[in-house]
Amino acid sequence: MDKLASLLHTTPAIVWMALKIVIVFGGVMSLAAIFTWVERRGSAMIQDRIGPNRAALFGKIRIIGLAQILADGIKMFFKEDLIPTDANRRLFWLAPFLAFVPALLGFAVIPFGKSFMSGGHTYHLSVLDPGNGMGMLYPLAIGGMAVYGVLVAAWSSNNKWSILGGMRASAAMVSYEIGMSLAVVAIFMTAGGYDPSEIITAQGHLPWTWNVVRQPLGFIVFFTCMFAETNRLPFDFAEGESEIVAGFNTEFGSMKFSLMALAEYSHMMTASALIATLYFGGWQVPFVKDPSVMLSVACFVLKLVFFAWVFVWIRWTVPRFRYDQLMRLGWKRMLPLSMVNLVFHAWRMSQGH
Amino acid sequence: MFITFALITLLSALGMLLQKNIIVAGLFMVGAFFGVAGLFVLLANPVAAALQIIVYTGAIMVLVLFVIMMLNSHEEEKAQSPRAIQRWLSIAVVAALAVGAVKLVFASPGLKALAIRGAAMPEAMTLQKVGLTLFADHVLGFEVAGLLLLAAMIGAVALTKRNL
Repeated sequence: MDKLASLLHTTPAIVWMALKIVIVFGGVMSLAAIFTWVERRGSAMIQDRIGPNRAALFGKIRIIGLAQILADGIKMFFKEDLIPTDANRRLFWLAPFLAFVPALLGFAVIPFGKSFMSGGHTYHLSVLDPGNGMGMLYPLAIGGMAVYGVLVAAWSSNNKWSILGGMRASAAMVSYEIGMSLAVVAIFMTAGGYDPSEIITAQGHLPWTWNVVRQPLGFIVFFTCMFAETNRLPFDFAEGESEIVAGFNTEFGSMKFSLMALAEYSHMMTASALIATLYFGGWQVPFVKDPSVMLSVACFVLKLVFFAWVFVWIRWTVPRFRYDQLMRLGWKRMLPLSMVNLVFHAWRMSQGH
Repeated sequence: MFITFALITLLSALGMLLQKNIIVAGLFMVGAFFGVAGLFVLLANPVAAALQIIVYTGAIMVLVLFVIMMLNSHEEEKAQSPRAIQRWLSIAVVAALAVGAVKLVFASPGLKALAIRGAAMPEAMTLQKVGLTLFADHVLGFEVAGLLLLAAMIGAVALTKRNL
């Protein structure tokens, strides 16, 4: 690291920062791309089909259909970029970016491995170092921004289906954010800090001291809210293709649609990383007290991929809710459950001291 | 950095005022909130910045845009009888308020202390400190605010739901 820094005439800190940004965002984006394929193969597996397995590199190398991602990308790039006549052109152009950027940014605060020392410096494996003062408030704030992509896309297309989708998305987002935030507050309380690294150290390396065992109620609420937050089935009311055509992205085609889809999958990655960090010990390796850096990173990625797979799994298993059921679930089940969880843990802490 | 965030805030606010389209004006307002959040970070208060984004852009503006979309009004309505005096009066009031605010800032004790001690880097605000301050120094204000919000919430439910 020091040699590389002196070669580039900068400090190791800056080189490390640039490297981290490339690793994190490159990693999340490629995982998101791979999951567009995993989703199709996974759905095929669940529905007893074969799924896309025909795309091949140079017509020969077939690697279980993974080339499908490349084929899709090339196709999307070369499609005609259509904008509806009555659309608000600038907002229509802006919307995919508004959807994509927050989905990716939320990952910045999550530690994806154990910090290590090298040459007198401590290197943290998260884009924002611990102790930045924002901590877990940052993904909550950025997660709230994600709805603007859907809203702007919906409104700028000037299409009735789209606007219905955008309205549903904003209502669902606001209702589920409260329950989610209260679940996270209970974790802040028991961990005694709101920095993700503090939350991870407070959970320890034994699986039965992880927050999922300590706060199962909070986990259920947070997990459910993550589905609403990422607009995935069973809560994908913004899209709802059986009711409102394709909702907010009815009018989007070519690379714009591709960016919207990638935003959804990046959001899924960020959501799985949050679940892993908050409830499953982040980079902690079960039963290993002091894991090596590579092992901790591998363990975190494994947890992330597993929860991303759960998102796919549930999408193809559970049917879509009705809109009023979604609202009732959010306000009358999730919010009270979250409050019970918070008050119970506050009470337990007050008994403990 | 300060100039950047200040410009983002001011230009977005200006865009919001001049924009005829309500949704675009709302998005400009989101930009202004982001500029203010950046200013909070520069003041070593990341908690306030995060709360600004969570509460204002994440909840309040989304609700406002939701209502606008539900009413589905694409264009601003024309004022029924525009009067020149309204414009001049509002400019005069805003100017008076601005002068008052600048005077208040220049007369504040914090600024005098800054002139004597120099701009030392303040310690960053954390959530723990915010909580301690709220519950140790400002308990009464905090509880009154909580009670007021609860009353407002119950009032809103009572107004909209006639038969509970």
